[in-house]
Parts: sequence; structure tokens; C-alpha cells
Amino acid sequence: MSLDIPRGMFGLLGPNGAGKSTLMRTIATLQEPDSGSITLDGLDVLANKEQARKRLGYLPQDFGVYPKVSAEAMLDHFAVLKGVTARGERRELVQALLQQVNLWNVRKRKLGTFSGGMRQRFGIAQALIGQPSLAIVDEPTAGLDPEERNRFLNLLAEIGENTVVILSTHIVEDVTDLCPRMAIIAAGQVRLAGEPREAIRSLEGRIWRKRVEKEELDRLVHEHAVLSSRLVAGKPVVHVLADSDPGDGFAAVPASLEDVYFGELRQVALASAPAKAA
Amino acid sequence: MLRHILSFEGRLLLRNGVFWIVLAVFGLFGFASMASDNVSFGGGVGNIMRNAPAVVVSLLCAFSVLSVLLSTIFVAGIALRDFEQRTAELFFATPLRKRDYLLGRFGGGFLASLAIMLVIAFGLWLGSLMPWLDPERLGPTPWSAYAWAFAVLVVPNLLFLSALLFLLATLTRSMLYTYIGAIAFIVLWTVSSSLTSDLDTRWIAALVDPSGGAAVDEHIRYWSSAQYNTQLPQLGGLLLGNRLLWLGVSALLLAAAFRLFRADREGLVLRRRKGAAAAAAATAPAALPPLAGSARLRLPAVGLREGLAARWTQYRRLAAFDLRASLLGAPFLVMLLLGLLVILVALMFGDNIYGTELYPVTRQMLGTIRASMSLFLVVVVTFYAGELVWRERGARVAEATDAYALPDWIPLASKLTALAGLVLAMYLGGALFTLAWQLGHGFTAIEPLLYLKGIVLDALGFMLMAALAVFLQAVSGNKFIGYLLMIVFLVAQAAKGMLHFDHLLYSYNATTPLPYSDMNGYGHFLGAHLTVRAYWAALAVALLAVALLFWPRGTSLHWRDRLRQARARLRAPVAATLAASLLAFAGLGGWIFYNTNIRNEYVPGDLAKERAADYEKRYRQYKDLPQPRIASIRADVDIFPEERRLQIRGHYRLENRGDAPIRDLHVRLSPDYEVRRMEFGPHTVVDADKVHGYTIYRLETPLAPGAAMDFEYEIAARPNGFTVGGTDTQLVYNGSFFNNYAVLPQFGYSERAQLQDRNDRRKHGLPELPRMNPIDDPAGRNANYLTTNGDWVDFETVVSTSSGQVALAPGYLQREWEENGRRYYHYKSEARVLPFFSWLSADWKVARDRWNDVAIEVYHHPTHAWNVPRMIDATKKSLDYFSRNFSPYQFRQFRILEFPGYQTFAQAFAGTIPYSESIGFIADLRDPDAIDYVFYVTAHEAAHQWWAHQVIGADVQGATMLSESLAQYSALMVMEKEYGPRQMRRFLRYELDRYLGNRATERVQELPLALNENQQYIHYRKGSVVFYALRDAIGEERLNAILAEFLRQWAFKGPPYPTTRDFLDLLYARTEPEHHPFIRDLFERIVFWNHRATVAEARKREDGKYAVTLTVQAEKVSTDGKGKETQEPVDVMVDIGVFARPPGGSEADEKVLYLAKHRLTQAETTLELVVDELPYEAGVDPYNKLIDRASGDNRKKVTVVQ
Repeated sequence: MSLDIPRGMFGLLGPNGAGKSTLMRTIATLQEPDSGSITLDGLDVLANKEQARKRLGYLPQDFGVYPKVSAEAMLDHFAVLKGVTARGERRELVQALLQQVNLWNVRKRKLGTFSGGMRQRFGIAQALIGQPSLAIVDEPTAGLDPEERNRFLNLLAEIGENTVVILSTHIVEDVTDLCPRMAIIAAGQVRLAGEPREAIRSLEGRIWRKRVEKEELDRLVHEHAVLSSRLVAGKPVVHVLADSDPGDGFAAVPASLEDVYFGELRQVALASAPAKAA
Repeated sequence: MLRHILSFEGRLLLRNGVFWIVLAVFGLFGFASMASDNVSFGGGVGNIMRNAPAVVVSLLCAFSVLSVLLSTIFVAGIALRDFEQRTAELFFATPLRKRDYLLGRFGGGFLASLAIMLVIAFGLWLGSLMPWLDPERLGPTPWSAYAWAFAVLVVPNLLFLSALLFLLATLTRSMLYTYIGAIAFIVLWTVSSSLTSDLDTRWIAALVDPSGGAAVDEHIRYWSSAQYNTQLPQLGGLLLGNRLLWLGVSALLLAAAFRLFRADREGLVLRRRKGAAAAAAATAPAALPPLAGSARLRLPAVGLREGLAARWTQYRRLAAFDLRASLLGAPFLVMLLLGLLVILVALMFGDNIYGTELYPVTRQMLGTIRASMSLFLVVVVTFYAGELVWRERGARVAEATDAYALPDWIPLASKLTALAGLVLAMYLGGALFTLAWQLGHGFTAIEPLLYLKGIVLDALGFMLMAALAVFLQAVSGNKFIGYLLMIVFLVAQAAKGMLHFDHLLYSYNATTPLPYSDMNGYGHFLGAHLTVRAYWAALAVALLAVALLFWPRGTSLHWRDRLRQARARLRAPVAATLAASLLAFAGLGGWIFYNTNIRNEYVPGDLAKERAADYEKRYRQYKDLPQPRIASIRADVDIFPEERRLQIRGHYRLENRGDAPIRDLHVRLSPDYEVRRMEFGPHTVVDADKVHGYTIYRLETPLAPGAAMDFEYEIAARPNGFTVGGTDTQLVYNGSFFNNYAVLPQFGYSERAQLQDRNDRRKHGLPELPRMNPIDDPAGRNANYLTTNGDWVDFETVVSTSSGQVALAPGYLQREWEENGRRYYHYKSEARVLPFFSWLSADWKVARDRWNDVAIEVYHHPTHAWNVPRMIDATKKSLDYFSRNFSPYQFRQFRILEFPGYQTFAQAFAGTIPYSESIGFIADLRDPDAIDYVFYVTAHEAAHQWWAHQVIGADVQGATMLSESLAQYSALMVMEKEYGPRQMRRFLRYELDRYLGNRATERVQELPLALNENQQYIHYRKGSVVFYALRDAIGEERLNAILAEFLRQWAFKGPPYPTTRDFLDLLYARTEPEHHPFIRDLFERIVFWNHRATVAEARKREDGKYAVTLTVQAEKVSTDGKGKETQEPVDVMVDIGVFARPPGGSEADEKVLYLAKHRLTQAETTLELVVDELPYEAGVDPYNKLIDRASGDNRKKVTVVQ
């Protein structure tokens, strides 16, 4: 895969197991690629890990904490490890970070008592130590409630204003809401890279929706290019991709990034299915 | 249902690879403890069969506890499985009954541990079949012992342990805490054994030991080897009580586990914590205002530093962070507390002699800390190495921090520092604790600097171990493999010693011993010790460099990736460190090898035995070869303490006291000494054996009978680097002490150097030998048992030392002068003395006193003044009693000289008594009830001035009775005058206990006192009891008169020298025939009198007196040397006593209402006695004067009937 990631939020969308985390870890210098290269502002990351790490901020997917340490002490500790060893600087930084991620009021509390959202905000604070030019955020919204998620995404959006932020997620809305650019990867390959708006535009007028009975579902899958089906009030609502009105009671709907995403996944599935048959 | 669950557990176990490994390990352990000579784990010694029933029982009992170290994995694993695999909710949602579920899980764990024990038993049995075992030491397979051990000990123990672990696991839901529980249990189990050193607490130990081992020991402690080989302990008394107690406890534990078991996934939640969590939830902000998208992220600019100062800060902070978390962690605190507990028990019950404590000197405290903490330190280092190396990963922080620009060495160094901090914290905790103990005992002579030195020196070893543990963790890339490797290392450490692989160079973290003495400090031992430490430290640095290369970072721990990473990391600084440390390792290794193997000879344990065997094979033929006797000795000895150097110029006058000419002179001298000159008549060298230090010279003119010759020599000894086992303790910076056997030439074959152990002898193809000459051996009668080299001699020595020290030797000081900055002392003996001398040199303080015209001097270390007045007092009273009752004291002086505590004894030379700093000088005798063994030891050594230095036994069986047993008796008499009969009774109980307890360790055969072959448990312990009983039978005055007469006959006589026959002849001649059978039983046979009071009732008479009915049982048993027993008809004169005691009073307050000798001739006798007061106790042989193997049942509390 080959990706060019500019400043701002960059969404990395893909199903579980697509290779998002591997890609993120490789960029974060935690894993060696079998081959290939990563360049950060002209710096060869793989050859200069130490230099690259200084410009990195990374929030791993599975970010834990020491449950018995307070947020402030922990962030201070992380700041030392990152290299902010001047005491005054560090104090200011920790205060600013905690305020920015809105944990200032709870800074004395043990991390073990934090909710998932608070923990993720703490995680992003940790990643922001030392003004990284690249922030890597791996599936940060998984498991957050809607409000926490909202707050977290707002925070990311702010960071994205002057930093490269790679946000990996399998939640399409995260990308829709935030990212001016994105890539969809599946089965270890980049399926699509670019601006979400353009990707959506390419499907404009080709997405059709219908509310169906459960019994119909099988038939529809055979007859149409079904992108997704989801239950709405107990009945499946199906999105299909068609250049013209498929009739059959389908109604046109505006395309969304979700349709783009499912469209790409469908192509991956189709590409592998004949191979299996053969 | 239960059966279904159990079989399910069984299948799971059988499919578990770890289970098979554990089975194999324990099976092998069982096999080795039976089949290998070198794995001596509680096995039989001496005449006890390897597979004797009692040995099998003890082994299985010990294993049943030790197996818990690994069986915890299964017991707790099964209990925790459903919670760890999160299948618990699945189970609890089924209609499975709680009882079946729990019993099933418990049963599974129990079966696993039972399987382990069965494999161990199988290993033991298989081991006993091995063809290389000495068939003489194997009996028939004791199936009944296996069955008995399983029924009485193993199964109940496993039930108890499984129940304990199950309860811990269900309560804590944590493998870690369960493991800590298991370790705590092992510790308590070990500790309970230290309760056994005090006679009065033994029964407590027997009850509280959950394994039943102490109770079994209590039952068999006085067994002879024959009993070990044929009998099983009786299931009664303390053993039965113990078993019932612990079965009950097991049932309680299980019941508790059932009650406290909660089906939900949380473990036991402590109320406090639950509250805290709720409070925390309550204070959580309900809803933070969503950040407005417009707010700009503003962060202050900071620099990411990477200079040296920054790295230092990072290292310091990370180390402190890790250390703080570990210090506050439960496992560490538990280990620390357990360590302190062991220290406490050791302080309370250890280190006592006859139940009397030592002053808590700092040296002693450090020793206690070391001994108590080391097990826990091993656990802490091993466990926390894993915890710390994998801490970030465990907390799932590593993925973030591994992406920080932090060099790899910082976490490595920080973790190691945190580990070192834990080690120091353990020591510091121990030191504060012992400090409090010292102050609590009113002991203020605390040595803070010594604490510091001791802790640092001890901690070094554990820091090196920490480096290894970190290395194993980092390189293995897996916490549990890291633990496993560490355990393999620890086991290998223990195993190689048993296999005589004892060189320092291949044993990681080994070093030379570092004994500490208040007199000599760490002395010259420190240099070698630190050199070897540095050697291993160099390797530790290399290991750490390798650990740095493989330091786990990033998400992949595949070997392929790590090797690639390691190659990438191998840059100049690491490579240079690695190279430099390996170079230092090699260099220091070479230096050590040069010291241990080139400057000195490296003799591993098995080679030493082989050499002893070889010595005997080559030279025993000369045992009876006549050699000249020394008639006079003049030795000029120059001691250079700072250089640990010695120069001796000596002269012997030798005489041929035989009736044949002497042609060959056989000269023995330690091969470590350099002979600079050896001059005597014209001669040739026939054979010079440098290995054994045995040279045969042929005189050109044989020494005719009655003729004399001069023998001059010049000998030098200087230390030559150091050896594997450390260097010798004779020549030291302060407190040198050596005797003439060690440094002066001796003549002829010495039996002392022979292999003593029968099994060793058989292994090396040596025949069985009598340990001593038979009592009627004529050659033996012609020599004394101290040395065959001379009789009563004249002795003169000029001894010099450096100016800061005093040099001493037996004899009167003739002249003292200084020359060339050295001090010279000229001593000369004025009475005839035996050729047995010592030289000492140290910086002492001297306390002086007089008894009549005898000068008493105690040369002691300046800080060891506590008991000096007591020694002087004991000396005066001893000289007084002995000279009044036996014969005059032959010298005009009496000197006690303290020497460093490298050895623990006092030894009587003529008028001169070297006395170890470890035994009398620091005894804490402030408690007036404590047995004053300082008094006793001093009196004993004083008595040797009569019993050894006036009359000395011939070199035949029984000789030591005439010196040691008589010295014991004499000391007892002085002590009784001082402390009264009650103290004597307590003292004699220890003597009796040690005699009876040591019989089983006899390596050849037990002999009657009068024929003993220098067997300490006989001539000291039994000797005390026998002479005290004899005195009780015939009276003190008469016995003393007989002893005085014996002295008149034999003092300063010989050759021929007296034997115990001469003594007994006199004893029989001067006593009435009615005493003769008893005397014979005491001295010439091995007899036990088992007395027991069974009924003691009292009835108040009308005249106010009490009629006491006392039923006593009497039994007399004689035994042969191997412990085969024969019942004999009872006919004994024995004390019958009735005692009153004030309400709430102790034995010390008791009043004798009746005490008289009665003749018992029946197995059971009922006596009617009348006493004036209300009796409290009544009994037979109430003062334990006779040798009785159950001395606790002689008295019985009197019940008053209407």
C-alpha cells in the first residue's frame, strides 16, 4: 500500500483485521515492515526511529493505565519519559494538556476510576506531549458512549488543525464528521484514498433504499448489489448500488460515506469469492 | 454430577503439559533423594538404612509440603480457571449445584497434588532399586511405611494444603496472592522447626507444624538406628493430636471456602474499598460541557531534551516510579513481613545454648537478618524481575511508551535499580527491626557502620542475582519462561553443590565465605570475597548488555524480529560495554584461577575424601611403627599478623622409649607449610609425599633404645592468595590462634586423618576399622590419647608479634621485650605438661584477679566485657572446689583468651584456655533464671587442668571419659554449689536430650561410656548424666575421695597411661557391692530406665495429713550398639517424691514434702506415703537423674479424693 498523508485529520477506515493497527504500529516504530518505507516530513522513519519517535504521538488501540496513579502524576511521568525533563516546562505542559482534554478537575483522581472516555482523553493528552508533528490514534472511539465520543472527536478535530492526525476507525461516521481526507483499507490493501466528499460524490444518484420483509432479503442479495442492510424498527432497510432505478420499490437516497465504505468492502468480497470458487 | 466434574478435571490435567513436567520433576527429585549419594535430603545417615521406614515417612512428609510449591499451580489454577477464562458466568448460569461445583474444583486440585505425591513415592521406590546402591544400607521395601505415610501424613496434609489454597484462591481470585499464601505457609512451616531448639517449646512445635513432621520427630527423636530401620511411629500422643487438629482446620477452611464463595466474578470485595469506589463514582463530574469546536488547542512550547542531564532525570524518575509501586505492592509487603516474622522467631528461639540467649550484638543481628531474609529475597528478586520488566506491558502502557524517544537502557537501568532498591528495602526493614530488638533489650552498643557494611556486602549478592533475573526476563521475552529459567537456575545452584561442583568460577554469583568476627572484623576474607564478587559483577554487566540488545520494545516478540533488532542495537557503546565487561570477566577469572588453582591447590569435596582414603591405604601400615617420643620442645614463633605470616624455628629433643632401635623417622607436616630447614642426625629421604605431607627419612645410625637425638627445624607459612573455600582462620589480622598439631612437625601415622564415615569408607574400598584401639591394646596403653608423639614434656617458646598485639602461649612469662618494632614474649612451663600447645596473638584488654597465689587473667576483646567477672568468679570457685576435693592446682596462673568466633569452642591448654568469642563472651545472663553456661564452660575448662593435664587417659577406648566426662562432673558440682539443684535439673535435661537425640546419628555403633570412642554425645552428654546419677547413688564426698585417690595414683604418670578399667576398678573397690550392678549399667552397658507415674491420689486424713497413693511403672531396657533392645528385670533404687506448690506457683516454687530412695523390683508398684501438706505433684525419679527416654511422664499431678 502507498499513502500520502497531509496535515490535518486523516481517516483510516477498514473492517477489523484489515491491517489498520499493523499499519499504525509500523508508522509508530513499534513494528518492522517486511518491506517498504515511511517518510515523515522527509525523515526516513524506519532508519531513524529515534528521531521519528520525537515527532510522534501515539495513542494505541488498547491503551491501559496504572490504576493506582493519579492522572496528573501519570501525565507528568509520561512527560519525563518523552523528554520534557525541565520541571517548570513540564508543569505548565501537564496543566495545559489536562485542561485541554478537560481532565483538569479530576487530575488528582486515580486513573483506575476513570471512565472509558476519560481514559481515552487522557491517552490523547499523553500522545500530545511534545507537540508531535504526527499523531496516530488507533480506534479511539470504540466503546465510548455517544457523548464521550463526541467530545473526543472535537478534541481530535482541534489537534488536526496543526498536526497530521491519523485516525484509524471502523466507524464510518468518525471519518465523515472529521476527516478531510481518508483511506479505506481492507485485506491489507488500500481500496480508496482521497477526500470523503469526492468519494461520496462518485456514488451520488446510485444509492437506492428499500424497506423490506426479512423473507425478501435473500432474494434481494442475489438480484441486486446490496451494500448494506440494517434493521430499522425491526425491519431490514436495504441499500443497493445501481446506476439506474432498480424499481421494485427502491427509492433514491443521497449517498453517504458509509455507502462508499460498504461498496469497497463488497468489491473485496467479490474479488475473493470467485477465487474461492475456482 | 460430581464424578462427571472430577473426570473432566482429570482429563484436563492429563492434557496439560505443565502437569507432566511437574510430575517428572518431582518424580526425579524423589528418585534422586533415594538413589543418589549426593542428593542428601533428609535421608538416613550412619547405620540407618536409606529406605528405612522412618526415613521414608520423613521424606514423604517433607515432600508433601514442598510439593505445594508447584502443585499450587494446579490447585489454584483449577479454582481460578473459570474466573480467568471468564467462563464462570456460563457455569453459574447452569443448574449445577454449588456444592458439586466447588467439590469438583477442589477435588480436581486435590487429585493433582495427590498424583504428584504418588509419583514422588514411586520415584523413592524406584530409587531404592538402583544397582549402584550399597546393599548394606538397603532394607526390604517398607510398603507399610509408604501406606502409613500416605494415610497419616500425606493425604491429610494434601487435604489441608488444598483446602488452604482453595480458600485463598476463592477469596482473592488471584494466583499471585494464592502463591504468596503458599509461600507463607512454607515459611511458617520452616519457622516452626526453630521452636524445637528450646526443650520447653518442643510440644508446641509438634502441634503447630501442620505437616505433622515435628510431631513425628518428637516421636522418633530418641530412636536408635535399629528402631529407625524397623519401626513406624505410633499414631498417638502429640502425633494424633496434631493430625486431628489439622484435619479439623482443613474442614474449617473448606467450610469457609464454601461459605465465602461468590458466584459473581468479583472476588472478595473489602468493604472499605467498595466504599471508596462508590465515593469515587459519586464525585465523577456528571457531564463535562462538550468542547466547542471553535476553541483552539493551545499548548505551551516545550523542548524534548536528550542530554545527559535529561537522561539522568528520566532514569531517576522511572526507577523511583517503579520502586515506589513495588514497595507498596502487596507481594513485597507480604514478603517483608514474613521475613520480619522469621527474624522475630529466630531472635526469640534461635541462637540459644542451653536455652540461654546471646547479647544482641550487631554481628549476630546481621547474621539473623541474612539467614531469615535470604529465602524471601530470592522470591522478591525472581518475582519482581518479571513484574518490573513486564510492568508496562502488563498495564498495557507499553505500546504508547515504546513509541517515546526514550533510549532502551533507561528502562533496563531503572528496573534494575528498582530491584536493587527492593533488596535494600528488605535489608533495611530487617535492620530497623533488629535495631528495635537491640534497644528493646536494653542493648545500646549498636554499630551503625557495621550494619551499613553488612547490608551492602550481603545485598551485593542479591543484586547480581537481580541482574541475572532481569537478563533472563528480557532475553526470554516471556515472563513465565523468565520465571522458569530462574527456577532452573536456582535448582541447578543447589544441585551442583551436592555433586561436588563447587568451584567459584562456574557458579554464577558464588563467592568465598565472609565470616565476621568482632575481634577481626571482615579480616583478610574481604579481599577474596570482593574479587570474586567483581568477577561475577563483570559477567552481570555483560548479561545486562545482552539484555539491552534484546530489550523487549515494540509489538512483535518474534525471535526473527528481535534478532534483527538486536543486531541493529549493537552499536559502539553497547558493544564496548559488552567487550569491556567480558574482558574484565576473563581477567578476573584468570586471577581467581591463578589464586585457587595455581597458587593453591583446588581440592573438591570428593577428591578430599579420595585423598584421605589414599592416605590410609598408603600409610596405615605404619600405624604401630615405633617412633621416638618428644621429650622437650623449644619453639620460637614469629607471628606477623598484618601479613598473616608465620615463622617458626623449633627444636625437639627426641627419645627412643621403646626397646628396639628406630631406623625410620616418619614426619608429618601440612603440605601448605614451607620447610626451610630440617636437621637431625645423618639421614636420607626414602619417600617425600607432598600431597599428604608425609615424609619418610632413614637414619644412618638407628636411634638405639633409651638414646636421644635432636631435631631442629625452620618452618614458614605465608598466605598464598586465596582458595575456593576461603582462606584459613588460624592466622588473621587480629586474633590468630593455632596449635602445635597444625604447625609443628609430627611423627608417624595419625588416625585422625582417616575417613570416618562407614559409607564413605566402603565407597573407597576401605575396611571397617575400630575408631580407637581396644581398651586392652598394649601399644595404646603406652601413649596418651592426645598425641602419640610425646609424654610429659618441657616446653619453652619465644613468641613475637607486631607491636600492637600481645602474643600468648602456655607457660610462665619469663621475659618481655621489644625489638625492631616487634614485641617478644618468652614463656616457659614449670610443671610437666603434655605436648599440646597453642599460640595466640591479638589486641586484647586484660582483666586480672587472683585466687590464692594463682594469677587469673582474662584477655578479651574490649567490647566483650559483659561476662568477664563471671568467668573470673567461675575460675575461682572451680579452682577452690577442685583443689579442695581432688588435688592441688599445678600452675601459678590461669588465663582465658578470647579468639574470633570462626570456631565455637573453648579448649584447655596448660593453664591457658582459648575461648571463642561466640560462646561465652556474648551470652546474655542478665536473666537470673538463664542457665549460666559461661560459668559451666569455664568450670569445665578449669576442670581439664585436672582431667587431662594431670591425669590423661591411654590411647584406647574410653579415654575421653577420664577427661571430658570427669570435667563435666566437676563443672556440674561447682555449678550446683552456685546455682542449686533445680538449675542442675534443667541443665541435665538438655544433656539427656542431646544424648538421646544424637544416638540415631551414630555412624558406627553406640558404646557404653567406659568404652566410648571419642563420641561426643557419649562422653559429654551421657557422661554428665551418668556421673550425676553415680554421685546421687554413692554421695559426693565418697565420689570425690575416689577421684582424689585416682589422681594420686595417676597424676603426671605414663606411659603406661590409665584406662577406664583402672578407674572402674577403683570405683568398685571403694563402693559397696550393692551399688555394683548399677555402676555396671551406667558405665559398662547401655541401659535405659523408663519410669512413669500412672496414678497419684491423695486423701486427707483426720489428723490433717495426706495419704498419697502413688502407682509407678518401671521398665529397664538394655541395648546393643546398633540399638537392638532387650527388656531386663527391674531392680533399681530410685527417688520417689511428693511435692507441694503454692497456688499459681511454678516448679521453681515447689516444696519437697517427701523424697526418698525406694527399691523397685516390679513393673508396677503402688506406694502409700504420708505427707504433711496438700500435695501438688508426685512421681518417680522426679528430678530425672536416670536415663529415661520419656522424661516428661515421671511426675503426675495429684488428685485429691474424698
